[in-house]
Amino acid sequence: MLKIAMLGANGFIGSRAVEMMHLGDMAEVRPIVRHLSSLARLSRFDLDCRVADGFDQTAISTAVQGCDVVVHAIAGDRKTILGTLAPVYAAAQQAGVRRLIYLSSASVHGQAPAPGTDETSPLSDRQAIAYNNTKVQAERAIRQLRQRGDVELVILRPGIVLGPRSYWVTSFAEALLQQQAYLVNRGQGICNSVYVDNLIHAIYLAATNAQADQQTFIIGDREQVTWADVYRPIVTAFDIDLEQIPEMTYTYTSPSLEERIESVLASKASLGFLSLFPNHWRQAARSAMSTLLHPASTTEEWRMPESIQTTPAVTLEMALLQQCQYKLPHTKAEQLLGYCPIVPFAEASRRSIAWLKFAGFPVISSHENQLRSVQNNLSKPVYSSKRLEEKLI
Amino acid sequence: MIATPVRVGLVGCGAVSQLYYAPALKELERLGLIRVSALFDPNAASVTQLQQIFSQANIVRDISAFSRDAVDLAIVASPPKFHAVQTIQLLNAGLSVLCEKPMANTVAEAEAMIAAVDQAEGVLAIGLFRRFLPATQAIRQVLSLGVLGEVQSFECYEGDFFRWPVQSPNYFKRSTAQGGVLLDIGVHLLDLLLWWFGNPIDIQYEDDAMGGVDVNCILQCQFAGFTGTVRLSRDCSLSNRYVIRGSKGWLNWTVNGADNVQIGFTNSHFALDTKIYYGVQQSGLPILAQPAFNFEQSFISQIGNVIAAMHGQESLLVPASEGIRSLRWIEHCYHHRTLMAMPWFSPAEANRAQQLSLSCE
Repeated sequence: MLKIAMLGANGFIGSRAVEMMHLGDMAEVRPIVRHLSSLARLSRFDLDCRVADGFDQTAISTAVQGCDVVVHAIAGDRKTILGTLAPVYAAAQQAGVRRLIYLSSASVHGQAPAPGTDETSPLSDRQAIAYNNTKVQAERAIRQLRQRGDVELVILRPGIVLGPRSYWVTSFAEALLQQQAYLVNRGQGICNSVYVDNLIHAIYLAATNAQADQQTFIIGDREQVTWADVYRPIVTAFDIDLEQIPEMTYTYTSPSLEERIESVLASKASLGFLSLFPNHWRQAARSAMSTLLHPASTTEEWRMPESIQTTPAVTLEMALLQQCQYKLPHTKAEQLLGYCPIVPFAEASRRSIAWLKFAGFPVISSHENQLRSVQNNLSKPVYSSKRLEEKLI
Repeated sequence: MIATPVRVGLVGCGAVSQLYYAPALKELERLGLIRVSALFDPNAASVTQLQQIFSQANIVRDISAFSRDAVDLAIVASPPKFHAVQTIQLLNAGLSVLCEKPMANTVAEAEAMIAAVDQAEGVLAIGLFRRFLPATQAIRQVLSLGVLGEVQSFECYEGDFFRWPVQSPNYFKRSTAQGGVLLDIGVHLLDLLLWWFGNPIDIQYEDDAMGGVDVNCILQCQFAGFTGTVRLSRDCSLSNRYVIRGSKGWLNWTVNGADNVQIGFTNSHFALDTKIYYGVQQSGLPILAQPAFNFEQSFISQIGNVIAAMHGQESLLVPASEGIRSLRWIEHCYHHRTLMAMPWFSPAEANRAQQLSLSCE
């Protein structure tokens, strides 16, 4: 049986890959994690788990010994993304591993790629989103390692990976509970989704296909879906109407006068200059500045409380993603790997919601859902975290 | 009044000793109540770390060196599989013992510990320290006084992505750990439920062990007149709240919150966010005295309770006879376990999961 070492096995993609490959008898999978405590999630299974740091070539080499394929599913900051490539590649070479599969990201093409974009499109590492640039640089670096080394290399570029434990599912669910969820462009932008099982299916194909060496593949779901399509099942599961999610736009905001003055006062240079003056002078100056910046309200006690409405903070990344007008093609993966998404989007959504319920989110049952759906048509519910809170209590 | 400091020996110098017992014992040393006299751990690096804190303590190579000549109270903070054998050995040597939770890996081992303490001079306390939190004590009083009316239901959600600095992969292996999240966190939770509500009539239990240990589990508990749900996880970030509903109102406790509970009343717009103080009478009127213990002070008070019990000044809050109660229910759960529904599995995966799950029985 194929032996696959999974680096980053406790992460969202890595842990589902271990689960799916082990339960599906696809491969003999060896989970590798950085810290002992990261074995917790994997300990449901009786597997040959290893602890090795992706920066430590010797440790990784020992850990992947005897494996045919290594999957690099290590997530992290720029230092981790770039710094683990050379040690992992060298370790794979040292251990006699046949192939390395590197999980890149479709974000190398940007969050809203231009029509016609595919694997042959030129990549830029001067994009507005730093993560995109890091992934572009990571792809370049690992390709160079392949040029000098013997370990075969396949690069996969998944889009928005959805499923149990997905950041995109969980963060939206949490935002709903905190009344911080929002839509851009009414959610009509295209979401280049890929259900995690479909991605793992592609990883398996990339591990076994003889023609895949030095190839790069965009991986996505079969269906073209919008962000509204992704979010609707989640809001429905929480008994909320998608129409009540506020529409937001991204605006760059420069620091306010207050923030700028406080920033200057707190700077090392200012503190040094102010230290030349007597302490009581400094205190008096600070007090005067504080009064200027925070004028006291004499009527505060006579003000009735108002419901606190915090405006969701729109990120540039989400704004770009939700304005995407192009579905990235996975034609090359279909043709060369024989990739065919194994889980349809509707079923993928059902499974993601099922996981939310498993993870303790206040998901109403499908029966309740149907009843409430009928009721919702009669009277629209108010999008209120209080109602969700009531369900929790 | 305790005249001479109690000589304390620490058996096991791993994470729980470094993070909890060391600072607690240091404070008790400062107060003149104890003196750490001996340290034992087969891992030299762990012992060395603690010796930097307790420089006067002797490092011993075998716990047979924990004799009445050198130690009065032994704290057993080794991996659970050693709890029974070490505790019995220490009790037989005439020492008192505070044994970390879980009391043992099996009920049979715990019963042997109780038999040993029945014949021993020393006392045996179990480190189910949540009973020392002022909030859990206040909840017990709220329930016994009927402030919430008749209890109708409860929901306890506790879990997060696992971050405890374990020092061995054995912590996660079925063959060595004997259990997962239920034995680790669940023992605390079940102990509190038993303390608050008494014995359940039945518990239905599901977990996700598929050849390994339980990482997620769910318990449906049936008590006389009400039911409750317990959900534990080392995998998902749960709400970490215990909510108890009664006929007159509800109560919310945030896990490990030492001095705070929230209480709401049926048909009232208002809810109370309470901070717990000691209450005293002054000039015939009740007033608030000092704030109740925080988390760390509560942990220290657990050791204080054992020392006071050794001197016959207090009863143990968690004697072995109490420590075994949650263990009995955990063993019941593991014996009657079924696989949790994991609806993201494909049908083939679900079948295989079922087969692997059966291998855990």
